[in-house]
Amino acid sequence: MSQGRLKHSLSDARLVVIAGAGGVGKTTIAASAAVQAASSGRRVAVLTIDPARRLAQALGFESFDDQIRHVELGPEARGTLSALMLDVKGTGDAMVERFSSTPERAQAILDNRYYRYFSTSLAGSQEYMVIEQVRRLLDDDDYDLVILDTPPATNALEFFDAPERLIQGLSRVPLQTIADGQDQGSLTGRLASRGRGLILRGLNRLTGGPFLEELAEFLGLFSGILDALIESSYRVQSLLRDARTQFYLVTTPTTARLEEVMSFRAELRRRDFPMGGVILNRVHRPLPMVSVNDELDGLFGGMSADERQQWSPELVLGCVDILRQHNLLAERDEAINHRLNEMTGEPPTQVANFPRGVDDLSGLSLIGRSLVTEGTL
Amino acid sequence: MQNTVRTPSNPPRFLRRFILVTGKGGVGKSTVTAALALASARRGEKTLVCELNAHEQVSQLLGHETVGSHVTELEPNLWSVNIRPEDAMQEYGVMKLRFVALYRLVFDNPLVSALVRFVPGLNDLLMLGKAFNHEREERDGQPIWDRIIIDAPATGHGLTFFQLPKIIRDAVPSGNMHRESDEMWRLLTDAERTAIHLVTLPEELPIQETKELHARLRDELELPVGTIFLNRMPVVSLSDQEQDQLRSMSTEPDSPELSTLWTAGKIRIAEHKRASGFRRQLDGLALPVVSLSRSYARHFGRGEIEALADEMERWTP
Repeated sequence: MSQGRLKHSLSDARLVVIAGAGGVGKTTIAASAAVQAASSGRRVAVLTIDPARRLAQALGFESFDDQIRHVELGPEARGTLSALMLDVKGTGDAMVERFSSTPERAQAILDNRYYRYFSTSLAGSQEYMVIEQVRRLLDDDDYDLVILDTPPATNALEFFDAPERLIQGLSRVPLQTIADGQDQGSLTGRLASRGRGLILRGLNRLTGGPFLEELAEFLGLFSGILDALIESSYRVQSLLRDARTQFYLVTTPTTARLEEVMSFRAELRRRDFPMGGVILNRVHRPLPMVSVNDELDGLFGGMSADERQQWSPELVLGCVDILRQHNLLAERDEAINHRLNEMTGEPPTQVANFPRGVDDLSGLSLIGRSLVTEGTL
Repeated sequence: MQNTVRTPSNPPRFLRRFILVTGKGGVGKSTVTAALALASARRGEKTLVCELNAHEQVSQLLGHETVGSHVTELEPNLWSVNIRPEDAMQEYGVMKLRFVALYRLVFDNPLVSALVRFVPGLNDLLMLGKAFNHEREERDGQPIWDRIIIDAPATGHGLTFFQLPKIIRDAVPSGNMHRESDEMWRLLTDAERTAIHLVTLPEELPIQETKELHARLRDELELPVGTIFLNRMPVVSLSDQEQDQLRSMSTEPDSPELSTLWTAGKIRIAEHKRASGFRRQLDGLALPVVSLSRSYARHFGRGEIEALADEMERWTP
């Protein structure tokens, strides 16, 4: 098990990004890592998006809002911990308002019917505002480590592409063509003048004309906030590639997820994002085997009268069955741990399975310690 | 419990004609899709599984080769296809524009491809549209398929996928796309023909998200949510009496063997208790909940899918 890498990141990095598919325990790992780093002296802010309610309570939140809150860690903690739950609803509006040159232009976009249709799914706007927020926290002198718990995605890194996709989508030359078309008359006229009447007729046959006209107006309006977005995007992109930023992938011991790890590594490399490592969560630890065939008699022979009263043969056999299943899970988990080690050339950071779940600060700090110390769990 | 004989005219509630299986990533959507498909095909009903631009897990889970973008027979009554957006787009484009050359001219145009990329979810709409076309396919006046099962995209940021036909229908005032999306929306909202099944796990986040997803599907979109499949329920192979006995033993036994058995049993009971607590959170939804047992097999393969299909067949409200 390799806990050294993460330990180093938690004491040295400025931004630790926790990625992974939904349901693998990302938020718990991010919160545990934050508790650990704060306990050992860093001033930490953890950003999490729509987390489990009980985890929010474990961190001392009653409800969600977008205020940053101080988390009380107790007298032994040498650093500080703050947590921010991001509400991603309405981020599209916030983005439009932030980057528009005038309130009137912002309002024109917000009133556009296509904007209203697409604002919830407008590719990239939510992601954009989250990373913007990280950048602002790091500019702030109150924190020396930000831990970002990313929202679930099939592809763990899609999150970080979204802003770039958004900007690319908005800044393509054809967009400008449409926007120009707005100024020089109708889109229809513009396209026709370029000898594209055939294409337009084809598109009309597909969609019906007014759709395109109105979409073009929307794109034209949106192109107005492009420069401000692009400038801010460059700053965000350089932060993500900074040597003191580390990306970790949380996964669970499932064969189906192995491929995800490899594609995560490949995509990090492709984007020049610094790889921290893989965190293998919910690992079953093997228990010593009790062999029934040979020792059921022996087992009963060694029991006290009280024990014999408590342990009926059915209970013993039932528990032997459960033990066998448990160790099969442990064996399966170990095989995946081994594969991960082979595939990545580095042992993953392992976190034990908690059958009762983790829902308070002491649970988080237990996991936090195990993230940086070999063999504690 | 007496097993009722189910004839094709009397399928269990979760076997509607047009089925969409969704849930958060990693909860076992494809596993449940595969087991549902098997349960449907075993009834002698001609079943088509549609995966959308996926790694084709369903065919592999059932022990078959991957099938690609052509509708392929996996085994008796069970067919599969992997719908990719580019194929769906071309098929739709060529169908509407009549000629491949005209399609190329329109879609290879940079302006058009930028528009297509920019409109969020257009790819998803095209894939859903192709699955929808399979629903309408007929031979000699009879529908080709008795049942279409779609391994729908995982629910991430929201309901975009299910909303798409409505969004496009409302956004495009008239024309082909309006008509197509209107028909798709009518199929999606028809509780007689369609069911959207939610797959989840007995864990905090998945349960919470399932409740939210259900509320939004039902209240905001008025879509027919069918059944919840609660996957990977821990199994306690002890009678109630034995469980009570184990619970009453609060201190770890001295003997190393008994201590190990005690630990293993206690862990499993704790897991089961926790999972049951999450299951109870689904009670208020007034939806059927089908629990599917966690597999403790060394490898997860066809045998495990068959066991899940058995559990589905045995299920009664």
